[in-house]
Amino acid sequence: MISIDNVSKHYGSFQVLTDCTTQVKKGEVIVVCGPSGSGKSTLIKCVNGLEPFQSGSIIVDGISVGDPKTKLSKLRSRVGMVFQHFELFPHMSITDNLSIAQEKVLGRNRDEARAKGLKLLERVGLKAHAEKFPGQLSGGQQQRVAIARALCMDPICMLFDEPTSALDPEMINEVLDVMVELAQEGMTMMCVTHEMGFARKVANRVIFMDKGQIVEDDSKDAFFGAPRSERARQFLAKILQH
Amino acid sequence: MYDFDWSSIPGALPFLWEGMKISLEITVSAVIFGVVWGTLLAMMRLAPVKPLAWFAAGYVNLFRSIPLVMVLLWFFLIVPQLLRSFFNLDPNTDVRLTSAMIGFALFESAYYSEIIRAGIQSVPKGQVAAASALGMTYAQAMRLVVLPQAFRNMVPLLLTQAIVLFQDTSLVYMSALADFFGAAYKVGDRDGRLVELLLFAGAVYFFICFAASQLVRRYQKKLNAHVAH
Repeated sequence: MISIDNVSKHYGSFQVLTDCTTQVKKGEVIVVCGPSGSGKSTLIKCVNGLEPFQSGSIIVDGISVGDPKTKLSKLRSRVGMVFQHFELFPHMSITDNLSIAQEKVLGRNRDEARAKGLKLLERVGLKAHAEKFPGQLSGGQQQRVAIARALCMDPICMLFDEPTSALDPEMINEVLDVMVELAQEGMTMMCVTHEMGFARKVANRVIFMDKGQIVEDDSKDAFFGAPRSERARQFLAKILQH
Repeated sequence: MYDFDWSSIPGALPFLWEGMKISLEITVSAVIFGVVWGTLLAMMRLAPVKPLAWFAAGYVNLFRSIPLVMVLLWFFLIVPQLLRSFFNLDPNTDVRLTSAMIGFALFESAYYSEIIRAGIQSVPKGQVAAASALGMTYAQAMRLVVLPQAFRNMVPLLLTQAIVLFQDTSLVYMSALADFFGAAYKVGDRDGRLVELLLFAGAVYFFICFAASQLVRRYQKKLNAHVAH
């Protein structure tokens, strides 16, 4: 489904990604973790072309992301993405947030788009808030709407960029619950997150990054059981200490 | 003590109203054109295509560095001849109003584009990323996501600029075009009551602009209250 092959990226002389290679098969859930500044968010943003990269290739569902001939907007409409800061459109109601891309990008008619939006809103448990504006919802609720908004496009896979790190602790679980459910239904997912409980529960593989390189790419049991690299061992020891 | 005599005003009201219509026409056309052209200039200035950005920056800096009076004067001197030769008009056709409108519109769009550029930049970058991630093109992201938010933040500034513009339209008097100020001046000159007429004109400008700026302030308060929740 997603094939990342020798991807490197630099801003000027600063190397952000160095020869990153990994694959995500259909239905797999991959958790990407690592210290801040390790390039994990950049890597996931390369997958749908939000961040350009200088060398290597990324193939998503047979389409090359780096190819200048690729119509990126078309590809992105099929790859869902959830951001750290939700990025709902604050000038639109929740319903409009859910239906605008369905109408303007996929060309669905208004009724169809609204019905789909409501169905997914119900699924994330927020149907009662359909007519509200994003500013009237809590962070956790906004993030669930953001997930529903991405799902409205019937994505072939979902990318999560630190979806819970801007949330108050008591709201993290309501978002993780939605993500766990999604994973159990067989959605292909690539998640940048520090929620190791989530990784333990649903991840097939864990990728550990440091200084722009993929240091570890292993099954979750191998990763949590006995990380091969010293750097990953230190990282795990630190975040699992308490 | 100067003897005030206001008696020439009531009879002159229809003529003054004609002048007010010209002032409003220039203001409205310059605001509409200024916002449209200003938006395009702002988008060019923010575009990744360098020549577009240079053009827009050059345009804005040029018009912001020249006094409005001089821009208008050049337009009165040059544009009427151009229009006449271009459209093959009778040399006696009055194109002063058209050239005033064009002059104001081109001048104001430089100021509007700076307001709009700041408005566009005030929208978080993540909004464009989110719109793009949903498959929107850059143009769709701008039109559906960025500009509506930018304009909502900008409306008070745009209206304030429009109020300043309304006052500045009085500068067209130097082309002898009878806008409100020009009309008041003509009547006062004719009846030897210049002081009264100019006081009256000043009072009307004050009343309109003060009322408008109060409305803008009220709108801004409402906007801030809305954003806070």
